[in-house]
Amino acid sequence: MEYFKSSLKSVLGSASVENEPSGADTVERLVDRLQSSTLLNDRRDACRALKALSRTYRVEVGAQGMDALRQILEMDRTDCEIIGLALDTLCNITSPKTFDEEVDKHGPNNKVGEQFTEIFIKNADSVGLVLALLEEFEFKVRWPAIKLLMHLSTNRLKDIQEIILVSPMGVSKLMDLLGDSREVIRNDVLLLLIQLTKGNANIQKIVAFENAFDRIFDVIAQEGNVEGGIVVEDCLLLMLNLLRGNISNQNFFKEGSYIQKLTPMFQISSEHDDNPLSTWSPQKVSNVHCMVQVIRALVAPSGPAQAVSNCQRIMRACGLLQALCNILMASGVPADVLTETINTVAEVIRGNSSNQEFLAEVMAPSNPPRPAIVVLLMSMVNEKQSFALRCSVLYCFQCFLYKNEMGQSQLIQTLLPQGNEVPSLTTGQLLCGGLFSSDSLSNWFSAVALSYALIEDNTQKEQLLRVLLATNIGKPPVTLMQQCVMLLQQGSKAQCKLGLLILLCRWTAHCLAAVKSFLLIDSSIAYLTALLSSQENNDDLQETLLQSMCAMLIGLCVHFNDNSISNYTKEKLCNLIENRIGLERFQDAIGGLARHEVYSRTLKHPQPSAKNPSELLLDHEFCRLSKTLEGVIIKSVLDGSSLHQKNEIATPILPDSVLITQYKDVIREQSSQIQKLNQLTESLVKEKNELEV
Amino acid sequence: MSYAYLFKYIIIGDTGVGKSCLLLQFTDKRFQPVHDLTIGVEFGARMITIDGKPIKLQIWDTAGQEAFRSITRSYYRGAAGALLVYDITRRETFNHLTTWLEDARQHSNSNMVIMLIGNKSDLDNRREVRREEGEAFAREHGLVFMETSAKTAINVEDAFINTAKVIYEKIQEGVFDINNEANGIKIGPQHSPTSPSGLTGTGGQGNTQGGGCC
Ligand SMILES: Nc1nc2c(ncn2[C@@H]2O[C@H](COP(=O)(O)OP(=O)(O)OP(=O)(O)O)[C@@H](O)[C@H]2O)c(=O)[nH]1
Ligand SMILES: [Mg+2]
Repeated sequence: MEYFKSSLKSVLGSASVENEPSGADTVERLVDRLQSSTLLNDRRDACRALKALSRTYRVEVGAQGMDALRQILEMDRTDCEIIGLALDTLCNITSPKTFDEEVDKHGPNNKVGEQFTEIFIKNADSVGLVLALLEEFEFKVRWPAIKLLMHLSTNRLKDIQEIILVSPMGVSKLMDLLGDSREVIRNDVLLLLIQLTKGNANIQKIVAFENAFDRIFDVIAQEGNVEGGIVVEDCLLLMLNLLRGNISNQNFFKEGSYIQKLTPMFQISSEHDDNPLSTWSPQKVSNVHCMVQVIRALVAPSGPAQAVSNCQRIMRACGLLQALCNILMASGVPADVLTETINTVAEVIRGNSSNQEFLAEVMAPSNPPRPAIVVLLMSMVNEKQSFALRCSVLYCFQCFLYKNEMGQSQLIQTLLPQGNEVPSLTTGQLLCGGLFSSDSLSNWFSAVALSYALIEDNTQKEQLLRVLLATNIGKPPVTLMQQCVMLLQQGSKAQCKLGLLILLCRWTAHCLAAVKSFLLIDSSIAYLTALLSSQENNDDLQETLLQSMCAMLIGLCVHFNDNSISNYTKEKLCNLIENRIGLERFQDAIGGLARHEVYSRTLKHPQPSAKNPSELLLDHEFCRLSKTLEGVIIKSVLDGSSLHQKNEIATPILPDSVLITQYKDVIREQSSQIQKLNQLTESLVKEKNELEV
Repeated sequence: MSYAYLFKYIIIGDTGVGKSCLLLQFTDKRFQPVHDLTIGVEFGARMITIDGKPIKLQIWDTAGQEAFRSITRSYYRGAAGALLVYDITRRETFNHLTTWLEDARQHSNSNMVIMLIGNKSDLDNRREVRREEGEAFAREHGLVFMETSAKTAINVEDAFINTAKVIYEKIQEGVFDINNEANGIKIGPQHSPTSPSGLTGTGGQGNTQGGGCC
């Protein structure tokens, strides 16, 4: 420190004796000396002094010294001392944060660092110079070079990414540093790579090509796996950046057998059961959160079906699914970890029959032992559980029943009268309990969960019609559907009604028998028309959604109507709509659904996106149903009414273009389904062949 | 399935010569008639057998368009083999070979095996480059040469497998430093000399139970 002060004094000369020189003057003299002195020692001193001033006089040093510093990087490459000082100075000048020393002059949130970054990289070679310096092993060069790149990319990410991509071996040079035995270097390179891989598929691929996954797993192992510190988390964040949305890298990850390497990380020991708090440090929680995100990046429902199903298969075969289920059933797991694990299990089993079967067979270590699914559903209909956890269970259940005919039928079976009393608690009983509980969230969850058992399965829709519920002693039992309609009419909570309408819409869609049963229920249609024709209440989201869904349900009753009930034939229902509600209003109500933000948000991803209970109104599968059927329903209703008033005024019909788009949607939906099925067949055949080999 | 060795390949050459089609034919046994411009690079993989040993090929299919040239350069180092492809129906793609070769030699490790490929041999009636010219170029620059058709699949397997054979021979001769991953070669987990199981061939039969996938 003493040495530092004296050298500063010698550089500044006797200036302080005279009038206080301005910072700018001093900087100017130093820059001048840095540029013109022929003596290396002299230049070093000047550079050292500039560095010392580069916080307090950041603007001056940057404005006047940038070129000189750049020149040093180029000309004095062989002298680590001065290069280190120049890099340090540049780091200060371009720092994204505001130094305490400069707050007075430039305010707390100035953009000085960003502006100097812009100036520095304007000369395209600058970044190349810094990249070249990475090859210098000397700590005092390599380290600030990494830091400088970090500052530059924090300020101007896109530009730096492009420059690095065109610099010869730019990314490779960075990757080499991951092997540096000095932890500080390795850790900072990790941070830099996390930064540089953000949103840039090309860099992500090169990093992966350069054996990033091997390096990352090495570091994770060295740092203690899931029990490790922040470095483990950084490794996982980098891994996540490389995989998320990058199909080529996902394929590489799968083909490189890296999925298998995730399994041991999830084998979280339960030895310390006596003190669960110590085993779940905040860092470990963060690590697990990142780990499950890595898994989800590979099996995201938005990914290509074939690739997703391959990954799912591997995850089961290598024990990863088992390990995840173990976490589900372990004690002392923090709620947010549990929630995310459930969401992850959901996506690992989604649409994959073997994995779904696997989950169906997992038993919880409860007393008496119960299937894991039952235990999960118990949490879903339990008011005391956190909202996020309950949502995750619904998502898991949705994924469990997705394209799972067997699972769907087994659920409905549990509701049908059995020969002998079933002693144990079943999924069906739990959902019925939830359906009629006093907690409107439980109502919604249960109704929607039950609707998943009916997706694309008319047999189950008809089976469910047979379900009878015992009511008060002495009164005859009522059907499940009657009970739902009664609840719809008597209930006061919008959320509960929305859930019931989701269930009833799913039930009646494509099922003539269900429509018939619905129409036969006392005042079922009267209730719907009354609600639809009631005072408009456009401000209330729940009210408008309710009206839209009522319109939807009436429409379904028109479209899937076999005219067997004389009071409610297609034609009579259409008349009713026209006279009681008005065609325009009916159309508005149905079409209005798609105009809500919550609709598009819900449609986007199968996982419930609600952050709090009041936002939980629509369901993904329901939105998809309404999207495919909206067009044909409106057409049915309009056709029905135009039939009846053929000789009267011309009826408004949908413009062809609208109909065509609607048909196109239907066709697209179907063809994507065909495609998916084809892919599924293909993969099954492949799987079969592999098994035969 | 586990492997004895893993080789990294890149496929290079002008745009439209059929690089992506060659990869697709090799990994999926399909042909793609429309030109789907590759953006950056795409990854593909397949298992082959050489000398009774399972070998995993990891292949990076690069974009031929000039704009992606600097990205492509990042893939030379770290590749054990390269397929340098031209289109026998377009002479200019043959003329550009020297540039490609210079680029490859400059950025790759000196042992990288380069296979020269004249693709689209099914379009013989539109041929602009004679087979002998390809052979001569290969001889002159010390490359292996083949004509292929990604459409009919002729020689496609052989192109990839023969490249692997040359690499494999170089390993046997001790030319490649197999412990340096930057050479684009990895030894399989079960096959590393330090592992107790040694060189037990797992090729072909019966998946191992644990990590039994790919
Ligand atoms: N007849 C015939 N056509 C081929 C053959 N291989 C490729 N093609 C066609 O050539 C065109 C270009 O093929 P690609 O494989 O996409 O070309 P590429 O080399 O990957 O091009 P870039 O990605 O731009 O670098 C496509 O229309 C292919 O159908 C072949 O062996 N025979
Ligand atoms: Mg291509």
